[in-house]
Amino acid sequence: MIDWLAFVWVFLAALVSACVGVTLFALGLRLGDGEAAWRRPVSVLMFALCGLAVLFGLYIIVGDHLVTLFTR
Amino acid sequence: MDPLILVALVIALALFFDFTNGFHDTANAMATPIATGALKPKVAVAIAAILNLVGAFLSTEVAKTISGGLIKEGDGGVQITPVLILAGLIGAIVWNLVTWLLGLPSSSSHALFGGLIGATIVGAGLAAIDGSVLVSKILIPAVLAPVTAGFVSFLATKIAFAVTRKRERDGFKRGQIFTSSLVSLAHGTNDAQKTMGVITLTLIAAGYQEVGSGPEFWVIASCAIAIAAGTYSGGWRIIRTMGRGITDVEPAQGFAAEAATTATILASSHLGFALSTTQVASGSVVGTGIGRKGASVRWRTAGRIALGWLITIPASGVVGALAAFIASFGVWGVLLDVALAVVAITGIFLWSRRSHVDHRNLHQPEPGVFVRPKRRKARR
Repeated sequence: MIDWLAFVWVFLAALVSACVGVTLFALGLRLGDGEAAWRRPVSVLMFALCGLAVLFGLYIIVGDHLVTLFTR
Repeated sequence: MDPLILVALVIALALFFDFTNGFHDTANAMATPIATGALKPKVAVAIAAILNLVGAFLSTEVAKTISGGLIKEGDGGVQITPVLILAGLIGAIVWNLVTWLLGLPSSSSHALFGGLIGATIVGAGLAAIDGSVLVSKILIPAVLAPVTAGFVSFLATKIAFAVTRKRERDGFKRGQIFTSSLVSLAHGTNDAQKTMGVITLTLIAAGYQEVGSGPEFWVIASCAIAIAAGTYSGGWRIIRTMGRGITDVEPAQGFAAEAATTATILASSHLGFALSTTQVASGSVVGTGIGRKGASVRWRTAGRIALGWLITIPASGVVGALAAFIASFGVWGVLLDVALAVVAITGIFLWSRRSHVDHRNLHQPEPGVFVRPKRRKARR
């Protein structure tokens, strides 16, 4: 029958990763729009963390396939 | 009938199904970036097509069975023959085209399963279908996918609007390019594989390939090209429904919805609980519509989409069953099936020309329209 535990994990993982990603990107936009000197580097840091999240997503999609291709 | 001709017919239909799968699912990744003006329509479908092509080549793993246990195959079960696969494919293609004509985002995988179920019931009886697998792998996930994605998208939209000010929100368009690209790549790795599985199983069943072997390179290449070509042709009707029909999407909403879709799809594929990309993407769009203050969800359209999901399996099943029944009359039955499929495909295409929808008549907002301050009413 249905694996409810797997579904709960999917739900939690999707919820946390989407909310964290959107928060980081939104903070990047918000902090990039100001006069104070500290805002810009922090904004760049937020976008960089988003970039890392995209790279992690890319790894999830293609990581296993690339490992399979190169270990043949 | 010469087995080679039958195999050639199944391969041709499988590739056409792959093509319809591509243009049916372009909207999952690209409807919201197009709706917000983050990407020009032709650029969006070109990116989606390239990523689907790349994704199809990356994924060489083929499912052991095309039915995922839905149809009791192997020892003590039924033997899926090329004729049943042909009938199932006809059911899936016809239903995919009908939903495209109506602009309804429905799951191509469900259409394929429905077609195969219908064909198998006629070919091998109702007992050949595993009802518990149907419920646990298709029906319950069909309810969970949009609800999960919708809730995640709702919260993500709330966060996006709470953190940013109106003038900053156009920046979300850049983020949409990355999230929609991830959805496209994930789609290529998953969906092209289904057709590769169908063709490989047909080749094995007809004795042209060894049992237990993976797909040949020409199968991978042709499936990749078919899904990419379908994606590039753009299912503009479905893009219109997803991008503008359910709710009016602003860049912050588009980003939140795409982030929710990406996160849900990647989590589901990585943690072993398969969810339909189409249902996840549609749920995200509804969720973001609810999440923005002042936005409205067109529940009538959302209801039509949900109804489409509900009847996808029975409808494609009926067509698959009819095709299997006709095919049971032998060579002439198979040829009649193919002829009827060609007539249906041509008829639907000609019908679609009566109200032509393409990238030129999709509404795209002017740059900056979402951040332009509202004019204040003059005080009397």
